[in-house]
Amino acid sequence: MVTTVGTPSTPTTVPYGHPGLSTRIQAYAHNRLSTGEPGVLHAANPYRRALAPAAVAEVDFERPLDATQMTGNRALSGHRALGTFYEADTVLLPEQGLDSLRADFDLFYSEDLRRLREASMSDLERYAFGFLDDEVDVSGTWTVAALDAFFQHVAGQTERGRAESLAAMEQSTRPTVAADLYLVQLALDGLTEASAMSRNLGGAYGPEQSALFKIFIDEFGYGVFEAKHTTIFAKMLRSRSMATHVHAYWNFYLTGPLATNNFYYYLSRDHAKFFRYAGAVTFAERVFAPAFVQMIRTYRGIFGDEVDLHYCDEHAHIDEHHGRITREQVLLALAERHGPSVIPDLARGIAQASWLGGWFESDTAAQIRWSDAIGRYRELGAATAAGPGTATAHELAPQSPFSTRNHDGAVVLRLTEGEADLVTMPTGEPDRLARGDAVLVPAGRVYGLRAVSPRCGYELVVPADEH
Amino acid sequence: MSTEPLPAAGDLVVELDLRAHNAVFVGHDRYFVLHTGGRRELVLDRCPHRGGPLSLARLTPDGRRLSCPWHGTKVGVVALRRTALPMVRTGERAVAVLSGVPTGTPVTAVHKRILANLPPEDIR
Repeated sequence: MVTTVGTPSTPTTVPYGHPGLSTRIQAYAHNRLSTGEPGVLHAANPYRRALAPAAVAEVDFERPLDATQMTGNRALSGHRALGTFYEADTVLLPEQGLDSLRADFDLFYSEDLRRLREASMSDLERYAFGFLDDEVDVSGTWTVAALDAFFQHVAGQTERGRAESLAAMEQSTRPTVAADLYLVQLALDGLTEASAMSRNLGGAYGPEQSALFKIFIDEFGYGVFEAKHTTIFAKMLRSRSMATHVHAYWNFYLTGPLATNNFYYYLSRDHAKFFRYAGAVTFAERVFAPAFVQMIRTYRGIFGDEVDLHYCDEHAHIDEHHGRITREQVLLALAERHGPSVIPDLARGIAQASWLGGWFESDTAAQIRWSDAIGRYRELGAATAAGPGTATAHELAPQSPFSTRNHDGAVVLRLTEGEADLVTMPTGEPDRLARGDAVLVPAGRVYGLRAVSPRCGYELVVPADEH
Repeated sequence: MSTEPLPAAGDLVVELDLRAHNAVFVGHDRYFVLHTGGRRELVLDRCPHRGGPLSLARLTPDGRRLSCPWHGTKVGVVALRRTALPMVRTGERAVAVLSGVPTGTPVTAVHKRILANLPPEDIR
């Protein structure tokens, strides 16, 4: 069976009120800032981010994610929208000035889109993160000492472990391309660093507030732009000849890293989750330093001196302090001051941050391994496409909007007309597909297709055993 | 199961695979995984009367108490939950913290039959 999918219409106005969450997210995804542009990378315009409306339309947002749905389109589409919503609550201005982007600025921060976000945010958070309450449960009678023992155990395990993504990078057939993909995942936070943390600086909560502020001012370079972590992160990207603007590599942010980044906004937006945030940020600050030591070793092994790792050196050093400050002056101090009733939330934040960190790693490693093995997945695609399945037909032109997506289950992508590039990584050469070529796309793997012939057609075939 | 002694705090961290383990022996103390309202808690397996194994107790018809298999002492589920060790469950893995455990104390995680998690006993 073949179904032809047309281009979705773009509504000229955004509905007000509270229709279903799916309707609201689809309406948002159809605004002209979200429908994509021909380039693989996003231009220097912080307001544009492809939300792949056709992929969003496949998602039932009324049915929250569960812990088994972490790699598919349901998760990616939800977290792309949620990340966009969170960043629309921050100030984003283009480095080159606003002159030519004023209309996009006005739309991104418009009342229409703001109302749509406000009407959707809590429901979308429940969709994206509600499962964490079932996945991570805290029980028993806690003391400060028990909290510290739990924290040391969980953080110690992560510190002693080998980062899965770095291992995949070292084993990659294209280690430089794999290393660039990892930088892209870090760029999600690196280019807007500590924005989520800034939400917890207000209010009045004693010495713990001042302790958090010490970390914040380190992230912001003590008011010196050249020392700001985002500035030195951009320097690292530049040394790899990569784009440095927000969010050039939007199409290549993977689900796990998006969810990890969103998680800190999620905990920071709702101050009922403050103690969970304190646990999560303590875990993050503790494991950053050893993680960056590992990263420096891997990147020096791949690039030698050809990459600027000032950003990693800075984190490997300063996060030793941040790890100590957050444990002693935030986590344990809050537990001491506010007593046993807050300790389960502190522990929950630690456990959830650890869980999400694992997702970041496994998702990035899986993308590296799949992209490395496209040759084998072509063979699997041809073999699978020969079997029973349901196909949908699509058309592309060289100037069609480019966006990446993934699927909840395995699909076969088969070219039926012309030629196209299969793009699975932000740098390196894409894989050229000609008429008749097929590739198996495993569940969760992110890809985009760019036409290189004037006309290009392809089918997405869902194998019968995936139904 | 893995254990990690923490000399500074005198605490012991026990990691459990809940698909394989539902009880922990710590020296002479016993704990079992009690299912309560969709949650799992690691509670003391000792009746306050004479130390009977509450893991082998059955719920009373109202579901609110356990009837100890030794002398029939009724132990409230709420009271038993107050003995729960601090534990974090992530999926089917759990990390529990035991406080004040003397160095060298043997710790064993096992799977055993637990009657306390069965539906209330039908007394008809």
